[in-house]
Amino acid sequence: MSQEKFPLVDRTEPNLLEEIFDYSLPPKIRFDGPVVEYIDGKPVEFDPQALRTRDIFITDTTFRDGQQARPPYTVEQMVHIYDLLAKLGGPNGVIRQTEFFLYTTNDRRTLDRCRELGHRYPECTGWIRADKGDFRLVREAGLKETGILTSCSDYHIFHKLKFKNRRECLEAYCAIVDAAFEAGVRPRCHLEDITRADIDGFVLPYCERLMRMSEQVPEELSVKIRLCDTMGFGVSYPGAELPRSVPKLIYKLNREVGVPSHRLEWHGHNDFHKVHTNAVTAWLYGCDALNSTLFGFGERTGNPPLEGAIIEYISLKGDLCGIQTQVITELADYMRSIGLPIPDNYPFVGRAFNVTRAGIHAGGLRQDERIYNIFDTTALLGRPPRVSITDKTGADGVALWVNEYFGLKGAERINKIKVHKIARWVNDQYELHGRMTSISDEELEAKVKEYLPEYWEKYKGKAAS
Amino acid sequence: MSDVAERVKKVTARVLRLDPAQIKLEHHFTTDLGAESVQSVELVAMFEEEFGIEMDEDAALAVQSVGEAVEFITKVCKEQGVEV
Repeated sequence: MSQEKFPLVDRTEPNLLEEIFDYSLPPKIRFDGPVVEYIDGKPVEFDPQALRTRDIFITDTTFRDGQQARPPYTVEQMVHIYDLLAKLGGPNGVIRQTEFFLYTTNDRRTLDRCRELGHRYPECTGWIRADKGDFRLVREAGLKETGILTSCSDYHIFHKLKFKNRRECLEAYCAIVDAAFEAGVRPRCHLEDITRADIDGFVLPYCERLMRMSEQVPEELSVKIRLCDTMGFGVSYPGAELPRSVPKLIYKLNREVGVPSHRLEWHGHNDFHKVHTNAVTAWLYGCDALNSTLFGFGERTGNPPLEGAIIEYISLKGDLCGIQTQVITELADYMRSIGLPIPDNYPFVGRAFNVTRAGIHAGGLRQDERIYNIFDTTALLGRPPRVSITDKTGADGVALWVNEYFGLKGAERINKIKVHKIARWVNDQYELHGRMTSISDEELEAKVKEYLPEYWEKYKGKAAS
Repeated sequence: MSDVAERVKKVTARVLRLDPAQIKLEHHFTTDLGAESVQSVELVAMFEEEFGIEMDEDAALAVQSVGEAVEFITKVCKEQGVEV
């Protein structure tokens, strides 16, 4: 008999791969070898395992790019959001910086109020146009760092900014950087539209010049570079060519031009649904800072979602690193309360992100919530897995809903036989009455009171009275 | 036919809205008698009520035919000291 190529490894106990899927954390992202990318025809190795020890971090632009996509926040709202960002990112500065406009009285008052909270992180930085006079605003605000627009594609250089040639553009940008140095402010050059730029013809010479200029100033003033994928053209796929390749962009700036990882930042947009993966890819290939906004809210299709970066950070590090994940839910509740629309199916915070409508999934959840829940969402997000009742949910779903409603665990849990009258009522809503919407929690509460009066009295009676 | 079988058929007929005379011991609840998911749960609940017993949910729902239900309920009644 021929030997099987893939013999069955029979077991009587399940192998739940808990070294990866430790339910108490977002599942770990582990690597088992180097990543190889061919650049200029030569294989280049990247070590993804270094992510565990590298000081990668998240920066926030909720108040700048995020605010460009909506009516302005009030001062109070921004101060509250800033406070929650500090709580979420924790004492290790996983959320390292956030940037503020500086142009209006409200902008400056907000900045002052945020700093008065006394949080070490996120550090407050500014954002100004590439105008020498604007450094006065940065200096007066007492900020050590500001972002400045230095667009780098010919779309911007020629068609938007109307420079006569690239040389004139480069010199103008360098003059702004010099002005920043003179003002004692660290410039963070935002290379707008880099994924549509001539990398060899403009980006690399410009960045090389910035690095040379930085050698003349103290380290704390040296230029940072933000790679802005303004139109979301970046791609993460190995082998993709420049200027769209995120790996190659990072490599060129980091290893060929010599911009240190801690002075590189990726800022993406979601026009092609690639925003989160592109940002994490930048981390992977040597860029330490991932710029993001809360719930991805930003110009047009938005930016890398900050909370997605937080979960990814934990998955890569294999540890919470001081992050308070439950604040993600707190932030979502707050943003909803001030009118930010969050789709129901949005990961981690949408109302339905861990709510099943399928009876077969409800059955699985009832047996062991790990079967259909991504991680311990109760502990990490304050959101137990739930079931939304429709004609597809069946008695399994009703039983799960009732048990969650009463907060019953283990042997206390009610089986689906006991909820058969509610399940029948639900079924009839659709079969006899032609209902097209899901059953609300309020309707179910009323039915629980009617059909399970003994449980109602035991678990809700005292609280209700 | 035993009393248990008669009572099982009666309950089945009531829940599935069938004529008791048409129900045979070899009939499967789902394939022959058309029991849908919620009706299967209702059947178990009604059997419990009829006989004054409590059945293990998974074991009860694994029963497929009327005859198997008669056997299963007889066994549970005996275990729980219910005379039938």
